[in-house]
Amino acid sequence: MKDITKFSVKDLNLFYGNFQALKNINMDIYKGQITAFIGPSGCGKSTFLKTINRMNDLIEGVTVNGTVTLDGVDIYKEMDAISLRTRVGMVFQQPNPFPMSIYDNVAYGPRIQGIRKKNTLDEIVEKSLRQAAIWDEVKDKLKKSAQAVSGGQQQRVCIARTLAIEPEVILMDEPTSALDPISTLKIEDLASELKKDYTIIIVTHNMQQAGRISDKTAFFLTGEVIEYGDTEQIFNKPSNKKTEDYITGRFG
Amino acid sequence: MKRNRRKIHDSILKGLIYASTTVTIGILVVIMGFVLYKGLPGININFLTRMWDNETTIVDINRNPVTGENSEENYVESLGITIALEDENIIIKDIEKDSPVEDGLNIKEVPYELKEKDIIAKADKVTFRDITVEEAVAALNEGTGTIRLKVTRPGGGIVPMVISTLYIILLTLLIAAPVGICAAIYLNEYAKPGKVLNIIRFAIQNLAGIPSIIYGLFGMLVFVQNLKMQYSILAGGLTLSIMLLPTIISTTEETLKEVPNVYRQGSMGLGATKLQTISKIILPSALPGILVAIILSIGRIVGESAALIWTAGTVAQIPSSLVGSEAGAATLTTKMYWLIKESADLEAATSIAVVLLALVILLNMVSKLITRRFLRSRTGK
Repeated sequence: MKDITKFSVKDLNLFYGNFQALKNINMDIYKGQITAFIGPSGCGKSTFLKTINRMNDLIEGVTVNGTVTLDGVDIYKEMDAISLRTRVGMVFQQPNPFPMSIYDNVAYGPRIQGIRKKNTLDEIVEKSLRQAAIWDEVKDKLKKSAQAVSGGQQQRVCIARTLAIEPEVILMDEPTSALDPISTLKIEDLASELKKDYTIIIVTHNMQQAGRISDKTAFFLTGEVIEYGDTEQIFNKPSNKKTEDYITGRFG
Repeated sequence: MKRNRRKIHDSILKGLIYASTTVTIGILVVIMGFVLYKGLPGININFLTRMWDNETTIVDINRNPVTGENSEENYVESLGITIALEDENIIIKDIEKDSPVEDGLNIKEVPYELKEKDIIAKADKVTFRDITVEEAVAALNEGTGTIRLKVTRPGGGIVPMVISTLYIILLTLLIAAPVGICAAIYLNEYAKPGKVLNIIRFAIQNLAGIPSIIYGLFGMLVFVQNLKMQYSILAGGLTLSIMLLPTIISTTEETLKEVPNVYRQGSMGLGATKLQTISKIILPSALPGILVAIILSIGRIVGESAALIWTAGTVAQIPSSLVGSEAGAATLTTKMYWLIKESADLEAATSIAVVLLALVILLNMVSKLITRRFLRSRTGK
């Protein structure tokens, strides 16, 4: 399969005030693949993920320079953050369902985009929950609070909520770090399933997870991309000594 | 030996803690008991349903004999009423069905329905004093056609104050709640942290601590005098709004702070605008807290006297406009103040106190209920 570039990042630098959190990042992210970002805490992988859908706009004192393009369009100069975020959805570290019913959670995105018709919403909700592999578990309690189900189910409801806005890319920021092993496995299977239709970028602390599900892996250290390539190559024949040290568990 | 001393030490401290609690509860019980003991006897249906002042009206009644089967004593056939003597006044004791007194007209030709317990006299005689009931019956039956009566409806009730209190609560909240909530949203969701925000917060904290009489003075100078509103519910409502804004802002802001940041991120991450996030996620999550802030504000409005005496006045009337002489209105609390200071009518004052106590307890219960509901819906059970 030929790699089609979805995101192209060139000379990206990011500062929190005076602190430089990302240094000179260059990277192409490809369509229909799972790209994993790994690295120790504070290495900038989550920060980088947030620059891709401009969630860092919400944080005070952040400056970004360099370019990030989505399908060739500069997301910082030629696109507004709101429409970017409807194309690039995000799943967070902690399951964060809103304090409303499962149905309302999933219908939230479509509703804010002005979809009011009940039939259409019903269809979107069912389709999204099915895609997120949780329909069978919650179909009888759609009117129940989304915060009343288990953590793993909450995270899949959140994924369904993201799918409901029909994004092209899904960003996952350590989506399983708060979950038990069984729920983690379900999310991983789901991610592998979803890559048929979506481009997925996942930040993870868990190297085995990156190895299991991703096609490409980028290793971050102190704000720099040390190595980026096919997952197999990164895990088996890393070309950089630091990558090898991290993969083999010598630090991190 | 040492262990023994520690034991004694412990017991003394424990005793002090228990004693403090007992004193607190004791004071509460004594106050409640005292107010109830003094005030309850004064509370009856008349107290709760009547106007405060006696109200005298001249009423024309088109006499239309209601014969019927009534053979009661002192039945006035031409008016269809039974009268009686009470405190040297002739009062209406009973009104027959279809009695013409139900269709009375006052001098302005506005319908005025006579009620039981109204004191009546023929308008050409100043009073019906020193006459027997039989003479009164004869006088009322005398002649045919329209009779002009002087009707005195006895007062002594708190209806005007209750209604004025409700008006002032409504008016104050209509002004203060939207402004306060919007200001809190600005401070918590939009304002950039820094010097300006700190100054605003400092100002709000200090405004909350200013004695209410200063707000009252300000309200009197600005609203009552400069803006020529006179003693009116609008002047009172505006003064209270200013007084309550700091509380509403800081309580609402606290509630907004408690809305988890992940909700904001989740909503923004789904492509919602900031305003959509605020109106669809943040405000609904913060609603119970905001309601509690509003209920606490109602409590303060009900209990406020200093800020109202010189802005809304102490006249016991149902206000019929927002500003001007018809708009002055005493709330329950300001009337209480007036009763104690001006007329030394302590019985009526304590009776009002009972009503106020009941109201405050009710408000507290409602706010507890809302908080509990909120906790339940949060945990999804």
